[in-house]
Amino acid sequence: MAKIIDAKGLACPQPVLLTKKALEQENTVTVIVDNEPAVANITRLGKTMGCTLQTEKKEDGTFQIYLFREAGESAAAPLNVSCATGPLVVVISSDRMGRGDDELGYVLIRSFIHTMLSLEPLPQTLIFYNTGVKLTVKDSEVIDDLRELEKAGGTILICGTCANYFGISNNLGVGAISNMYDIASTMAGAGRLVVP
Amino acid sequence: MKDTEEYHVILFDSVHHALRSEKILKEIGIRHKLIPVPRHISSDCGICLRFTLDLRNRIEEALAGKVEIREIRPL
Repeated sequence: MAKIIDAKGLACPQPVLLTKKALEQENTVTVIVDNEPAVANITRLGKTMGCTLQTEKKEDGTFQIYLFREAGESAAAPLNVSCATGPLVVVISSDRMGRGDDELGYVLIRSFIHTMLSLEPLPQTLIFYNTGVKLTVKDSEVIDDLRELEKAGGTILICGTCANYFGISNNLGVGAISNMYDIASTMAGAGRLVVP
Repeated sequence: MKDTEEYHVILFDSVHHALRSEKILKEIGIRHKLIPVPRHISSDCGICLRFTLDLRNRIEEALAGKVEIREIRPL
């Protein structure tokens, strides 16, 4: 007997939490939701729990998700829920990651930028200000990674005041000079803001 | 960027050895890159030194006797 969960009108992350609880008890679960992020979260949950899934969009704008968990598949799964509705924005405010040791901090920020290339999804916008702008110059050691992020569709905003302050405005190897209006509004409109 | 199959990495037992290697290779102008150790190699929070295979001999020569290397392997 399939368990049916009506999760219409529930705020994130409620639908995915209810689904997880149901799947821990039953192998066959049907969930009704009324928004796409909930579908995405439940689909992700279903996959990590080893379910076969089928989603149907109904005429009234709701979605029915049928989940079937194969026998023997573990019900234990880490929850990977995203309730954010805006884009992922990364702010590089320094050419070091963390405080304490500069040499170490410089290794860490380079590692971080390199690792961003494997994020799923990639950041929509990267913002560089203060000493962070130094990472965007032509002979920067992370310039290849930043160009790749830009090529993959990421927007790179560089604080113009900062580039001017450090005298590198004519030496930038990636991105576009931006201003505090764009920077502030991009940060304010972010679904998630990551600041290493 | 070149294809990944051309890359090899040097693993170290200490971050300090990785940094010393970077310093040495920078001084003599050998192209390389410090990257986090990829997950498929180790789950340690470590860094390793990536290079293209054609530079292997020059790099090994430059680091010989100066830096302890744990392993050199394909990426």
